[in-house]
Amino acid sequence: MDRSIAVWVSAALALVVLIALPLGWLGWLSVSGEHGVTLAHYRDAFADPALQKALWNTVVLAFWVGLVSVAIGAPLAWLTARTDVPARGLIRGLVLASFVTPPFLGAFAWVMLAGPNAGMLNTLWRSLTGADAPLLNIFTMPGLIFVVAIYTFPYVYIMVSNTLALIASDLEEAAAILGAGRLTVARTVTLPMVLPALASGFILAVLQALALFGSPAILALPAGFHTVTTQIWSLFQFPPKVEQAAAFSVPLLLATALLLDVQKRLLGRRGYAAVGGKGGQRRTIALGRWRWPALAACLVVMSSAIFLPYAVLAKGAFARAWAQPLGRDNFTLGNFTFTFFEYGSTRAAIVNTLELAVLTACIGAAMVALLSYITNRRLVVGHQLVAFLVLAPVVVPGVVLAVGLFIAYTRPPFVLYGTLWILFLAYLTKEMPVGYAQADATFRAIPADLEDAGRVLGAGRLRILKEVTAPLAKSGIIAAWCFIFIGVIRELSASILLFTPSTKVMSVVIFDLKEEGQFGAISVLGLVMLALTFATVALVQAALGRDVLGARR
Amino acid sequence: MPGVSLKALSKRYGDVGAVDGLSLDVKPGELLALLGPSGCGKTTTLRLVAGFLAPEAGEIWVGDRRLSSPASVVPPERRRMAMIFQSYALWPHMTVAQNVAYGLRFKPGLSRGDRDARVREMLRVVQLGGYEARYPGELSGGQQQRVAVARALVVEPEILLLDEPLSNLDANLREEMRFEIRRLHETFGITTLYVTHDQGEAMVISDRIAVLRAGKVTQVGTADDLYHRPRTRFVAEFIGRTNVIDGLATSLDTVAHGALRLHIAPGPLQPGTHVALSIRPHQVQLAAPLESADGANTFRGTVRRAAFLGDTIDYEVAIAGSDLVVRAAAAPTPRFDVGAGVTLRIAPGACVPLAESE
Amino acid sequence: MTKRFVVAAVAALAAIVAGAIAGADAQTPSKHLEGARKEGKVVWYTSLVLPSAEKVAKLFEAAYPDIKVEVHRTGSQRILQRVMQELQANIKNVDVVHTSDAGHYVFLKEKKLLAKYTPAGVDAFPAGFKDKDGYYYGLRATVNAIAYNTKAVSAAEAPKTWKDLLDPRWKGKMVTAHPGYSGVIATHVLALVHLNGWDYFKALAQNKLMIVQSANDPATVVSSGERVVAADGGDYSAYQLKKKGNPIEIVYPKEGVPLVVSPTAITAFAPHPNAARLFTDFTFTRDVQQVMADSEGLYTGHPDVTYPADKPKLSELKLLTVTPEELEKRNEEIKKRFVEFFGA
Repeated sequence: MDRSIAVWVSAALALVVLIALPLGWLGWLSVSGEHGVTLAHYRDAFADPALQKALWNTVVLAFWVGLVSVAIGAPLAWLTARTDVPARGLIRGLVLASFVTPPFLGAFAWVMLAGPNAGMLNTLWRSLTGADAPLLNIFTMPGLIFVVAIYTFPYVYIMVSNTLALIASDLEEAAAILGAGRLTVARTVTLPMVLPALASGFILAVLQALALFGSPAILALPAGFHTVTTQIWSLFQFPPKVEQAAAFSVPLLLATALLLDVQKRLLGRRGYAAVGGKGGQRRTIALGRWRWPALAACLVVMSSAIFLPYAVLAKGAFARAWAQPLGRDNFTLGNFTFTFFEYGSTRAAIVNTLELAVLTACIGAAMVALLSYITNRRLVVGHQLVAFLVLAPVVVPGVVLAVGLFIAYTRPPFVLYGTLWILFLAYLTKEMPVGYAQADATFRAIPADLEDAGRVLGAGRLRILKEVTAPLAKSGIIAAWCFIFIGVIRELSASILLFTPSTKVMSVVIFDLKEEGQFGAISVLGLVMLALTFATVALVQAALGRDVLGARR
Repeated sequence: MPGVSLKALSKRYGDVGAVDGLSLDVKPGELLALLGPSGCGKTTTLRLVAGFLAPEAGEIWVGDRRLSSPASVVPPERRRMAMIFQSYALWPHMTVAQNVAYGLRFKPGLSRGDRDARVREMLRVVQLGGYEARYPGELSGGQQQRVAVARALVVEPEILLLDEPLSNLDANLREEMRFEIRRLHETFGITTLYVTHDQGEAMVISDRIAVLRAGKVTQVGTADDLYHRPRTRFVAEFIGRTNVIDGLATSLDTVAHGALRLHIAPGPLQPGTHVALSIRPHQVQLAAPLESADGANTFRGTVRRAAFLGDTIDYEVAIAGSDLVVRAAAAPTPRFDVGAGVTLRIAPGACVPLAESE
Repeated sequence: MTKRFVVAAVAALAAIVAGAIAGADAQTPSKHLEGARKEGKVVWYTSLVLPSAEKVAKLFEAAYPDIKVEVHRTGSQRILQRVMQELQANIKNVDVVHTSDAGHYVFLKEKKLLAKYTPAGVDAFPAGFKDKDGYYYGLRATVNAIAYNTKAVSAAEAPKTWKDLLDPRWKGKMVTAHPGYSGVIATHVLALVHLNGWDYFKALAQNKLMIVQSANDPATVVSSGERVVAADGGDYSAYQLKKKGNPIEIVYPKEGVPLVVSPTAITAFAPHPNAARLFTDFTFTRDVQQVMADSEGLYTGHPDVTYPADKPKLSELKLLTVTPEELEKRNEEIKKRFVEFFGA
């Protein structure tokens, strides 16, 4: 019982510092005026037509991103999980690559691809058809929706793919042998069973779109419209209207919480895993003459998300003038020299990013390992509450968290603004849920029997931890470490509000360079970020022996 | 009602021949069990018949239609079959009635009313009348099983396939359902292939049993045939328990094992060849040691082990003057204790020579 | 800095006297050198375009190897935001503040956040480059001009005046930077409001301009061909790109070009006060000012600096000026109305 209390107190304290404090300040500031509690900030925020427009834009963006993500993710999942489409492994790998690509890098690459005048695709179109008007204009709402969706659809893909894996194919075979053709089976059996996963994936995609800062900043602002996140950011410009920013953030927070609740209910609905008996093997559906067209369709999607953007980033890194063809006279290593040797902020930023990523990942992994072990083995009273609190940050969009942290830590007693610590707090809070999910899955897979067997034979709890549990949990915790690491490297929406010139991180530097129009340097840094990310992903796969999306090798 | 004909079917998984030149004929209207240990190829055979797998060699005929061959396979939805899966495969998002009615959609000429009527009737037959609006998740294992059966029968298939449908039920329910399935088969008379690894089940349910091993059929016959006239050691040991005694044929009807001489009912045996005999435990008669030891196949022995099973006692008896230890199943009385001397008597007709050596 | 400046600047530039003034720039050992070496670095928040800022920093480090320059470059408005945010959190990080929004310095001076320091050699600068109280001085100057892509637009078709930009033929083809980020643009907007009123910008917005942040970005955008006309932007970035061989040309409208003098000052709370003073002196020496003029295409207040032949002299241009006081007072209004018309 004593042990319980100690754990409880420390867990509670940690969670207060990380979540309750910033959000509390956020709520308080949104209603505090010169003469006490007031709703004036809410009134100012929501009566302002500019802010109303931003709100509407965000709703439109999120909704359409959700739809497009489902339209891309669900068929892709069905094709790779259920049919004999060729190169399934490759497609899964590309979906994974899309999942870990920072969306703002993708947005930036698409500016180079589909800017209405200089974009490479438009130039190609013009030379092919002689037309004057561009084929694509990325600086529009549809353009923004497209760019966000191609990096958000993996959420739908993962949900649908995992659900399809649970649906034993004898459910489909039973329908087939009773007379249903392939499409009828898909329509009457597979689709209804996958519907909760689809809805769940839709909601996750919507949540992502709500919280994004980088892509709207890159694509919407030049086109003259704001979203809620960019609006909150601009409220921080001098003179800052922090109270209004707070008032504007609270509804975003509530909307996110509501959506997540709905999503949880959808997933928990009984009876949509295979019912009764053992799950069977999975039979692949033969596509016949549709095999190659299906593969082509998949590759078109992955071109948009991976091939084209990465290629154009590579080009931008090596070209003197990114819009001109990469000929001998256009090739240069100058961008690299500039980025690493002439631009003072880069090296400091890379060091900061790596320091923060390693620190957050180490402390975060340790914390989630401890907490998920405690909850899984039910070592303290009220462990469900601990689990709930650890997952709570999922509800808070990055920019809102940043506003809260800014308010909480730019005043005594803890003034962390201007140090790397405030960034550390933001990252830890934001990435803990994903680390926890992985750690939780790890400990679930280690049955308590294994530990009990050792204890019956006389080994103490600590020895068991060291000799039995730790070796089994090792790869799962490494994976958690990697997820946190990747999350920190690419974080932008919180960093953009919390950084100071001496505490810049890579994503912020990239964003700064965008404001300068330094495409070459952005491409170079973008490639570095991608290289770091993929190296870490490779580490995860080696540790876990299966790919990040869940398929066994 | 057509029969099923499997001609030299082969299907490989990698280097392993899951089904290896398998030939079998299922008579019209009969329920034939495919029995064998795991890995023997029975499920693969079933799935070949269903059309989920394509054979690499051989053919599958139903009546006068060739349904499967290496060149072409009629897809499952056009084979006019129905299947009951080990997991029941009930669709959790549909009600019991919708599950059962599913296959009726693809039958032309049925109105909505007809379908509903048939569904209701079939549910009554499987004793689930009134359960139409329930969902599979609300039913017990046995009830789900019956829904699966109803769903398969309502479409009046030409061939019915069952893939270990009872293995997920507890022992009592399993026994009850065996009789239930037999009763339904006798009512509807559909040609049926029934896959199982449980020989007791096969013996209760089926008209004939095909014992499979390593992708081939070792023996086909009624339960009686297989039990009393097993052709191979494998079949003898798989169906019921048995004693297998190896020896040398010394004459047309005698087998020598060490000093023992066993007389069998007229062979014919080939003198000088190695012979294995199968003797069922319940055919080993035990008597008090004072009984005369004359007569064919009468020996003295000592009880080594006695296990009381309620309606029988399972004895292990060492035969004097040899290394043989036989199992005997005897009535609860008279009872012989461990260490007691007994007289064993085996009727010559109970010694079945196993025809193929293996 | 009023019309008085125009006269003074023109006079100064037109009447270059090399002699005694050049002598004042000779390398005399600075009394700050000792202290600066001990401090080891100077932190510089600057809105000078990045390659230029880095170049100045490298020059300083070459001259004074023991002293590092930490360059933090961002838009003028952001710099002010940074400084104020850091102060609020009691962070004293920055030594030298250099932006292109003169209004900032009125504000900072009022709040007593600046140190009074006169760099060596500035007495010869025109009055428009000097604060009468001695807190800030004009490090460089640029003018807002129109730029166009020579591959897409011929010299004959190119817009010649600010009013020409309102022509619907340029719809969807122009780019502007943002006064909410850049001091150069804030000055530009205010100057044109004086000239044509806010209705001008209302009409301009009908042409659906692409919005970028930094005053250096329009030239980059035009160079790449993404848009073909820049509606504003510091002429020095366009000039740099032109010199590098990019297809861009500059037009100085006859109605007048908004002049932007970019002041620099040392903060009252500078953590490296000696290095700050040494650095400031350095940036006002003729050599550095000449570098800014030559390779960066900037105008300066230094009387001895010569300018490239292919760039119009300040005396040849009609200059539109705004006072720092007015910039400071109307800053909010400028940003608000711009957003109102342009959307973001």
